[in-house]
Amino acid sequence: MRIGILSFAHHHAEAYIQALRALPDVTLLGVADEDAARGRSFAEAYNAPFYPSYADLVAAKPDGVIICTENAHHRPLVELAADHGVHVLCEKPLATTVADAQAAVGACQRAGVLLMTAFPMRFSPPLLEIRARLLAGDFGPVYCFNATNQGELPTKHRAWFVDPVLAGGGALMDHTVHLVDIMRWFLGDEVAEVYAQSNRIFHADEVQVETGGLELLTFRNGVFATIDCSWCRPPYWPTWGGLTFEMVTERGAVVVDAFKQNVTVYSHRLQRPTWAFWGSDMNQALVAEFVAAIREQRAPAVTGEDGLRAVEVTLAAYESARCGQPVAL
Amino acid sequence: MRVGIVGVGFMGTTHAAGWVATPAQLVGCVAETEAEARPLAEQYRMRVYPDLASLLPDVDVVDICTPTHLHAVQILQAAAAGKAIICEKPLTRTVAEGRQVVATCREAGVPLLVAHVVRFFPEYALAQQLVAGGEIGRPGVIRLSRGSYRPKKPVGNWFLDEARSGGILLDMMIHDYDYARWLAGDVESVYAKKISAGHPEATVDYGLAILKHQSGALSHIAGAWAYPPPTFRTRFEIAGDRGLLEFDSDDTAPIRTLIRKTGGGDAPDVGLPSSPVSESPYTTQIKEFYRTLTEGTPCRVSAEDGLAAVQIAEAALESARTGQAVPVSAL
Repeated sequence: MRIGILSFAHHHAEAYIQALRALPDVTLLGVADEDAARGRSFAEAYNAPFYPSYADLVAAKPDGVIICTENAHHRPLVELAADHGVHVLCEKPLATTVADAQAAVGACQRAGVLLMTAFPMRFSPPLLEIRARLLAGDFGPVYCFNATNQGELPTKHRAWFVDPVLAGGGALMDHTVHLVDIMRWFLGDEVAEVYAQSNRIFHADEVQVETGGLELLTFRNGVFATIDCSWCRPPYWPTWGGLTFEMVTERGAVVVDAFKQNVTVYSHRLQRPTWAFWGSDMNQALVAEFVAAIREQRAPAVTGEDGLRAVEVTLAAYESARCGQPVAL
Repeated sequence: MRVGIVGVGFMGTTHAAGWVATPAQLVGCVAETEAEARPLAEQYRMRVYPDLASLLPDVDVVDICTPTHLHAVQILQAAAAGKAIICEKPLTRTVAEGRQVVATCREAGVPLLVAHVVRFFPEYALAQQLVAGGEIGRPGVIRLSRGSYRPKKPVGNWFLDEARSGGILLDMMIHDYDYARWLAGDVESVYAKKISAGHPEATVDYGLAILKHQSGALSHIAGAWAYPPPTFRTRFEIAGDRGLLEFDSDDTAPIRTLIRKTGGGDAPDVGLPSSPVSESPYTTQIKEFYRTLTEGTPCRVSAEDGLAAVQIAEAALESARTGQAVPVSAL
């Protein structure tokens, strides 16, 4: 099994390389990047073949590619891979517009290749356990969620994360999709309506996109859920941010802090408390699922349609934030 | 200063304990029946009055601790008698009533103080001081949560009757609407949902509200009547452009008891977090009210604040009913 990496625009590309290398019978075919200097430097760092263009890498007939471009540039590479019969794992969000997300899904469907969206929370052992207990009836019917996916300003990793065109927006675009996907996965239901408010108070002098946001979704079955997607964590908080939710059911509530598997570190070097995560590597499980789906010729656990649904909700949230009223999907 | 208490439930009893810590004189109390009033009256050597009208001539201050839907008529009655008034939150059940009682008390020249006790809890008072002092810069997103179990009363549970209490979106969440306003100023619009709107048969209730402040700040308010007794958990997170404040009552408990019940076999005990402080926030509140009434010192919560909180709650109720965001007009 040969897998290629398309672009290092997203820093997850590095984690995916390591995840691929940890899998038996998987070869990193090579890496390509439109920024040749960046691509060559990562190729060297990871001792991987460098392809001068995406087309060259895809023409070398990998079984699958992992697309890590800027959000707005996912679609053409998904289409390129699909045209060459190459399976695709695409970084989230799948696209910055509904049209692009639909085109990506359509291209892979027509070509008969797999399209997987990189939603690593689907592979979080705490979330897998809660979902199993929910489906087993331990908690009773779900009524609502009170959820957060907050973070620091993501420019620490890459500057384009706050570019309105390349990222497709700010905090709403960055931090809506994970929780939408988790709730759809838990409930087996679709979002019917979204209300959102956003502001730009955090980092107002540094960025042009929204940095604060609150959303209230309503599913078709009546379950409602808030998402706090704000980039409200200061750079000196103990970690990058987190993902939490309270799931309220007929029997009470389940309070979840998905990344609360840490050792608190106080060191002379850092001079502030930090949380060192010891929980399981979700990117490893995500990449393993992509490879297994290709090998077993089956749909992956999280699909392109899942990515599309999350993009639809996010774009509806932007519309709601503009008009001040809930928006139906 | 002679004080009379109207309503002898949990709040009337708590306020009575607060008054004892002031030089004020607890004169009497009123309940629905004289029998209900007797235990509290005996504890504090008060007289039991058959009704508010008979209490009024003997007091300077009326402390109203009755169910919410009774507040307006009792405030108006006390104001007409020229008495100073303390009223448990929510100030009134509706905005119309609230406007009327605030205007009437102003015209009558009688003080009207609203017992938004959260402003007196040390953790909340401290956080407000830090925000007001600029420690975290301009607030951007505020998250306030308050969760417990469904109020339990054997008969006539008015808490669960939305017509009388306003339900979770008013009775429970008004604390945090008021606190959000204290931190980030007036509110421009409200969008809210609650379980009981779609599931009247549910045994739990939970409300979620998004407030947009005129300042541009956003507040997320959550209220739960969903947890197993005796849970009572409060949390706040105030994110500003220059810092962040976090508080979780579960994480700030100085005492956690892991003591086996004697004679109770091996059944695990429930560890109750507790934060003992030298003075109950309810007493801090009553003392501040006392100083305001006797010395004219400023009180941290005004009648208008009480009305503004009811206004947010009414918008939340309307939003939960209509599914639309509801604008909040200037008072």
